[in-house]
Amino acid sequence: MSVLEVKNVTKSFAIEKGKILVLDNVSFSVGNDEFVCLVGPSGCGKSTMLRIIAGLEKADSGEILFRGQPVTNPTPKIAMVFQLFGLLPWKNALENVEVPLEVLGIEKEKRKHIAEEYLKMVGLEGFENTYPHDLSGGMKQRVGIARALALKPEVLLMDEPFSSLDELTAKILRELVLDIWRNPALPTNTFIMVSHNVEEAVFMADRVIVMSPRPGKVIGEVKIDIPRPRTKHMRDQEYFRFIDEVVELLEKSKDKADIESPISLAAKRTDSF
Amino acid sequence: MRKYLISFIGGLVILAIMTWLIVTFVPYEEIKSLPLYTISTVSRIIITLLISVAWGISFGILAATNKWASLILTPFIDLLQSIPILGYFPMVIGFLFVLGPWGIELAVIVLLFTSMAWAIFFGVLGAIRGIPTNVAESARSFGLTGWRYVRHVILPAITPAVVSGANLAWCDGWFFMIAAEYIQYKGDVVTPPSGGLGTLLAKAAYIWQDMNVAIILLVFITFIVVYFNTLTWHRIMEKATTGTFKPVFRMDLSGVGKLGIAKATSWLRFGRLHWPKAFSTASQRLRKYSRIEKIIAAILAFASIFVVLFIVFGQFPTFAIISQGFNEPPSAELSYLPLLIAMTMGRLTIAYGISLVVAIGMGVLAAEHKKFAAIFYPLYDIGQGVPILALFPVIFLGLKELIGIDYVALEFTCIIMLVLDMIWYMFLNIVSAVKNIPTEIREVGQLFGFKGLKRITHLVIPSILPSIVTGSILSWGTGWNTIIFAEYLPSTNLSVPGLGSLLDKAGYEYGNTVVLIFLLGIVAAIVLSMEALVWRRLLRKFEKYHVEV
Repeated sequence: MSVLEVKNVTKSFAIEKGKILVLDNVSFSVGNDEFVCLVGPSGCGKSTMLRIIAGLEKADSGEILFRGQPVTNPTPKIAMVFQLFGLLPWKNALENVEVPLEVLGIEKEKRKHIAEEYLKMVGLEGFENTYPHDLSGGMKQRVGIARALALKPEVLLMDEPFSSLDELTAKILRELVLDIWRNPALPTNTFIMVSHNVEEAVFMADRVIVMSPRPGKVIGEVKIDIPRPRTKHMRDQEYFRFIDEVVELLEKSKDKADIESPISLAAKRTDSF
Repeated sequence: MRKYLISFIGGLVILAIMTWLIVTFVPYEEIKSLPLYTISTVSRIIITLLISVAWGISFGILAATNKWASLILTPFIDLLQSIPILGYFPMVIGFLFVLGPWGIELAVIVLLFTSMAWAIFFGVLGAIRGIPTNVAESARSFGLTGWRYVRHVILPAITPAVVSGANLAWCDGWFFMIAAEYIQYKGDVVTPPSGGLGTLLAKAAYIWQDMNVAIILLVFITFIVVYFNTLTWHRIMEKATTGTFKPVFRMDLSGVGKLGIAKATSWLRFGRLHWPKAFSTASQRLRKYSRIEKIIAAILAFASIFVVLFIVFGQFPTFAIISQGFNEPPSAELSYLPLLIAMTMGRLTIAYGISLVVAIGMGVLAAEHKKFAAIFYPLYDIGQGVPILALFPVIFLGLKELIGIDYVALEFTCIIMLVLDMIWYMFLNIVSAVKNIPTEIREVGQLFGFKGLKRITHLVIPSILPSIVTGSILSWGTGWNTIIFAEYLPSTNLSVPGLGSLLDKAGYEYGNTVVLIFLLGIVAAIVLSMEALVWRRLLRKFEKYHVEV
């Protein structure tokens, strides 16, 4: 049964002269308990796709269905983890986790309790009163994850969550995320992650959706059926075969448009404000 | 290009028509010289600008590349720039007035120079120090040394700073024009023989006391300033600021030109890049001096005081001369000093409070809603264009008619002047800060459902707090500069009690250099201790609020 359905989503951004098409008729669905990875070259609109799913941006046409209901605005059922963490620098770790709960109207004692619990879960016990300024990159992302999970969402969106971390930290956090995903006690069990790191995608996902350079289209899907935990299988022939398969899809799409236009990239950045 | 020509010629035509109308219909004899006065003021400011640029570039390069020059020049120039124009009166008068009419012309230029030159120097210094190590090293590895290094690395690197600094100097020149072209000393008024717009405006306001004429002249002057800004500076700055290593001036003002104001107002051909006048004061102050530099600065300060006293009294200052200075008027008022300081601080605080609240409101609205931006940005542009000092007499005459009591009118005028002066620094800082709130933080707000007031208090205000502090430092800096002129109405004996008006009395009315220097020292002490006790602490506290991107 699919939890989330992306149906014929098209999105373009206005630039000084006309528009550029970023997403062209993108459709896919994500099942319950599934871990899906969106992979594509930079600028292919995968982050935009994620933002549309989150309700942060509106699609020009097409729709997002969450359990059959269209998503148009952000909802606590779908939470997001950001590439640059998105922590509020003027709030400490605990307060950062508490803030969305406060907006939901949860009373003070209770939200503090929840926040502490989730911070503990991501391994940040003892850092509750530390400000983002004094946390390392990996710790900041742990706060980001705890903040998203504290809302008890059904779907967790992650926008390149490990790409601003060093490889060692990223490796530890990938395991943490997978543990959370597998944890039956948590209501959050559908994960959608955007990445441009093919190995990361193959390591983590049940299914890798490959997108083409702009305008972003779904050009292929690779079902990864390596048994979990996959740490044991990272030297297997099979693992590399999957990687090659994804890379091949990416390479094929590259022939059409291999040069990134700087103008449209800049336009995309300003317009996403 | 055609559009440019049209606005160029159109502007000149409007200027000519305005001149003709004023000359024909304003019934004062001296108004007939308006064309001449306009030319002399414009050329005076241009000449001073050229001198300032030449001086700023050469001394800036010297200070940035030579360790010893830096050690002595930088603190000394920092000291000079923090002295208000009034502080230069005794020296200028002692030195240059003896040379006759040419001396007076020269004196006006020197006074203008003292309020124009510093921005360029500090801009050049900062730009050279900001050349990335890798660029400097690669240049050296390719054998670029000496003059070649200057030509291929330093000059391109400082161009944007020089252009922005020159624009600042230009604005400052107009700001202080009225103070420099109408020199009042020991009861006498000295104006440059070739006249000037500042002279004319001062006469209209203080001698003829004709508000209509004053307003007309003010509009005329504002038009000239905005005209030049739109036509030349915006274009030059646009060209010059591309291809630099980093924003020309830091202090959280970076990127305003490109991102916010320009975008919203380009359709009006209004405001491209603006840099507040006092940026250099604040940024230099905030840069911590090393101990040796502090010592040198202190020695230089004392030395310069002695030099000034020596020039004024024609002999080495003895204890007798100094104590004589403290016996002459207005030293009797020195016994009220704490009260006067309190009153001046009170005015500054009220004006600051008003500016803060209004600027936050306006800044947040302008940065978040295009509709408000379309109103506030042009307002800002004109607000920055009006020479505040020239506005002083006009506001006063208006309020006097309205209220009827001179003293109350002056009190209100003083606060209005301060607000008009302080508010734009806050506004500019806040707008750029709101614009620069990182996308992710905005998205977090959206995702977690912050709306309305909660969004403002949880997201917007905290993220702009550091910029509010920088804006406050700039506002207070310029506020101190302005209050010296705002508490005292030249050519009349009207003043409101305060530190500023006492300074004016010592400077203008009695020419008491000893008291003047003493009071300037008091002002410096207050400014510095406020920085140490309030601003630096706040800055350090809010440092971590900065979102790392």
